[in-house]
Amino acid sequence: MDWRRFSVIALVIIILFSVVVLIGKTKDTPIVIITSLLATTIAVATPLTLGALSGIFCERSGVVNIGIEGMMLAAAFFGWLAAIYMNTIFKIAPLPSLIAGVVAAILTGGLFALLHAMLSITYKVDQIIGGTVINILAVGITGFMNRQLFFEKGSIFGGQVPHAPGVLPRIQIPFLADIPVMGRIFDQQPLTIAAILLVIVSHYVLFHTRWGLRTRAVGEHPRAADAVGINVIFMRYANVIIGGFLAGLGGAYFTLESVPSFEPLLTNGRGFIALAAMIFGNWSPFGAWAAALVFGASQAFQIKLQLFREVIPAQWAFLQNAYIVGLAPYILTMLILTGIIGKTTPPAADGVPYEK
Amino acid sequence: MLKKLYFVLALVMVFALVLPACAPAAPDCTKQDVFCVGLVTDVGKIDDKSFNQSAWEGVQKAKEDGIATVVQYIETTDSKDYDKNISTFGDAGYDVIVTVGFALGEATDAAAAKYPNVKFIGVDQFQAEDVPGVAGLNFPEDQAGFLVGALAAMMSKSHKIGSVLGTDAVPPVWRFGEGYRAGAAYADQEMGTTTEVFVVYHNDVGFDKTFVDPEWGAATANSMIDQGADVIFGAGGKTGNGAVTAAAQRGVYAIGVDTDQYYTLPEAAPRMLSSAMKLITPGVYDLIKMAKEGSFPSGNYFGQAGYAPYHDLENEVPAEVKAKMDEIAAGLLDGSITTNVPPVKP
Amino acid sequence: MESNEEQEARRESSFQKRLKSAGSAMLVPVLAVLTAMLVGAVVILMAGGNPLYAYLGLFQGAFGSAKAWSETAVWATPYIFAGLAVALAFKGGLFNIGAEGQLALGAVVAAWIGYALPDMLEISLPAIIHLPLAIILGVLAGALWAAIPGALKAYTGGHEVINTIMMNYIALNMVSFLLNGPMKDKNPNNVIARTPEIAESARIPVIFEGFRIHWGFVLALIVAAIVWWLLWKTTLGFEIRTVGANPDAAKYAGINVKRTIILTMAMSGLLAGMAGAIEVSGLNYRHELGFSIGYGFDAIAIALLGKTHPLGVVLASILFAGMRNGGTRMQFLTQIPVDVISVIQALILLFVAADAIIRYIYRVRAREERLVLTRGWGG
Repeated sequence: MDWRRFSVIALVIIILFSVVVLIGKTKDTPIVIITSLLATTIAVATPLTLGALSGIFCERSGVVNIGIEGMMLAAAFFGWLAAIYMNTIFKIAPLPSLIAGVVAAILTGGLFALLHAMLSITYKVDQIIGGTVINILAVGITGFMNRQLFFEKGSIFGGQVPHAPGVLPRIQIPFLADIPVMGRIFDQQPLTIAAILLVIVSHYVLFHTRWGLRTRAVGEHPRAADAVGINVIFMRYANVIIGGFLAGLGGAYFTLESVPSFEPLLTNGRGFIALAAMIFGNWSPFGAWAAALVFGASQAFQIKLQLFREVIPAQWAFLQNAYIVGLAPYILTMLILTGIIGKTTPPAADGVPYEK
Repeated sequence: MLKKLYFVLALVMVFALVLPACAPAAPDCTKQDVFCVGLVTDVGKIDDKSFNQSAWEGVQKAKEDGIATVVQYIETTDSKDYDKNISTFGDAGYDVIVTVGFALGEATDAAAAKYPNVKFIGVDQFQAEDVPGVAGLNFPEDQAGFLVGALAAMMSKSHKIGSVLGTDAVPPVWRFGEGYRAGAAYADQEMGTTTEVFVVYHNDVGFDKTFVDPEWGAATANSMIDQGADVIFGAGGKTGNGAVTAAAQRGVYAIGVDTDQYYTLPEAAPRMLSSAMKLITPGVYDLIKMAKEGSFPSGNYFGQAGYAPYHDLENEVPAEVKAKMDEIAAGLLDGSITTNVPPVKP
Repeated sequence: MESNEEQEARRESSFQKRLKSAGSAMLVPVLAVLTAMLVGAVVILMAGGNPLYAYLGLFQGAFGSAKAWSETAVWATPYIFAGLAVALAFKGGLFNIGAEGQLALGAVVAAWIGYALPDMLEISLPAIIHLPLAIILGVLAGALWAAIPGALKAYTGGHEVINTIMMNYIALNMVSFLLNGPMKDKNPNNVIARTPEIAESARIPVIFEGFRIHWGFVLALIVAAIVWWLLWKTTLGFEIRTVGANPDAAKYAGINVKRTIILTMAMSGLLAGMAGAIEVSGLNYRHELGFSIGYGFDAIAIALLGKTHPLGVVLASILFAGMRNGGTRMQFLTQIPVDVISVIQALILLFVAADAIIRYIYRVRAREERLVLTRGWGG
């Protein structure tokens, strides 16, 4: 593992948090501030983490996927739709409806990934085009269906947004959540916890199983892999679809865990940020997670600074400006990426269609 | 291969020639007895559960009540299309055109000069000077914000309250936010309390994102709650809705905006304390009716603003708070209480 | 068989040959557009609309009158510039997702020169100096903004996809800051985050009185021709394409790969900046927050649909512009949501990309050429 990368990331997060604590210390105790920052960071990093994991599986097998944004958007919509459908049409209780929604979101991600796999593996369409197709298609389909189902009179929902079954309930991790104050960090919703577990699982699968070995072989030297009897086409299809499932879970975060509503374009470019996190983390699950946490931390940083706007000292007045504070995560990313860590190395055969 | 292309192109030509013949006849809006109302949205969707949709509901109500014969909307996808979209209705002989959002103000005034026989209703368009044929439908959002701000301050046990809003570049949003702050300060003064008010505008994204980012709204509301806030006011389209639902989910008081969101955000209903309301739908409806009756006003027309009932939380609100709220509402109405919030951000 | 065809081909004049190759190059996109519209028709039917009527509205709104043509050209102008920007970068093996930010910066700089310069110098500038100055500085802003990720790619290996995304956010934040603060129109009636109007001398004149189509559209066509000339008739163009096709080979051939990457990104940003500058000086006469939403994204689709060829980009831009422009009339006539247009556009791109589907349906033989843009993320 790349310790330099992780220590830089940790340093950045510590600096961000320290600034907030220094400013906010007149208003609240450091422990409360840090707890809240950490809780926000972990929660908002969830879709980025899952999106980045999705990208890792695709790209480790040699398929570039810039369609994560579209997959998450479509999954957010269809997952939410399924949950509402179960709840209002079939009169199923909220929690099972939500779980059905999560399953639907995962399958939606998988379905879009299948399309990407067919385009890029079977038809050997340029993979960036395939991803762009998915992004645009998702915007069109979700926008159109959202309109047809929830606005036009005479649709199955009568042109109204029906009562949503709510969001996935919080889970208090036993013992840890009982710690006073700090326990808030361990009081999270299921997809956030799942994302963290999936980081560990993904790392294990990719680096400690035969499946992972084969996946990486296919992404690095497909010809050599083929020569030793690995089915390159199958491995790529399977990994792209696994990636789709993960992106779908990331999409579910938006409408089933964060807020119980769907808005056109609600993913707001987070699929691309996830892509950045993947590269930032050098195509490794822990690296990508750490990178996603940096983005999460900077969002938490921004939110908290705005709460403490009145007590920002005069010499730091620039921090009162949301636009300037808003620049921080992006500049940091570029600095970290180019200045300190240097080159990232993608899988060798990433983006290259395999021809026998 | 070329032959195929020519064949296809020829087919397209034939198609294009034949097509106009099969167009169904639409009601003719240029006729005197056909009263047509068109609506042009701001860059945004008609189903935004916010001001575009509320205005459209007012138009639809006019049709249901037999005031308008034909109602139609066009969604603007880019600000450079404002003129074109308004002209589409103007050229078709529409009688009333509703333009939604302050950004359409100039395009509306220009169109009023071009179509002198058309009545224009500009929602959220403050008229600095009267333009014949244009009625700007405005609301005292600062008063609505003031009311819920006072309510929040009186109901808070931790004496920390929060507000999550869209961008302050939009004057009505800014008036809601500053009104909230002023209302809380007023309640403090009356009650002898000190309330800490968090007011956060969603400024750090593009204009297209600021009202449609519920996840940011939820994260911000959660962060305020972590900090001890126990009342959250969400104002700013979907962004605000995200804050309201997140607050309800965490079990603190939630305050909605624009309409009585007890009905539009059912998942937050059990914790919905009130809503800062601006009644766009009846405002648009009334102006359409006036246009039909020939009593259409020019200049600014002020719609109503206020706060919504407590609904499920009726029993949690102490009687003295209810009385105080009635007192403040009356004071704002007769002018004995002022919010001191200017119409636009200085 | 094959030798027969070859002999036949030799007999044809070079013009005919060109026509034929252009025709066969266009066959698949044309069929893709038609197929996408057929699928779109089914979607409209399912939504309870009349597809014929809807398409009539779309066609009328896009090309049905002189005014419709003018409006379509107005929409097409920024599309052509931004599409060329993305296409040029693709030719050099670079993926510029940052057109949006470069465009916004170009617009903001052109607007600033347009409204502030006469006041600062306290003289009224003649149009012959003021207008070109506004455009050139706007364009340079875009070029510089894009050159940064180019340089980072060349010297540190930082990937341009991440860096252009990051720089998009930075540019949009900066523009928001400027338009809400220092550059905001101080007119007391103004509440919108936008700059003051630019001076008359910084405006591009319209072509026909009474229509909004301005000379920027003609400039877009000229620039498309220049990009074609640059790519296929100059040494620099050869170097760009070689680096794009195979950077290692380019290095061995003695091409300065680093310099070429930076130049390609700078030129790409230049074109994107031009999209913004021309939109300000030719159409809006000011920069307003949020006017450029989605242009960078559409530009990627246009570059792909146009197969990264300048002529293809122009045609794809006009098609997309017609759809966006005609969408208004379609919605007016039928109340079909404009989102249908996005569905159709995605399908067009899908069918153009997966031309195997189209070839299978219409039994069209495959052409040997295949568009390759992706070479992974590797530096």
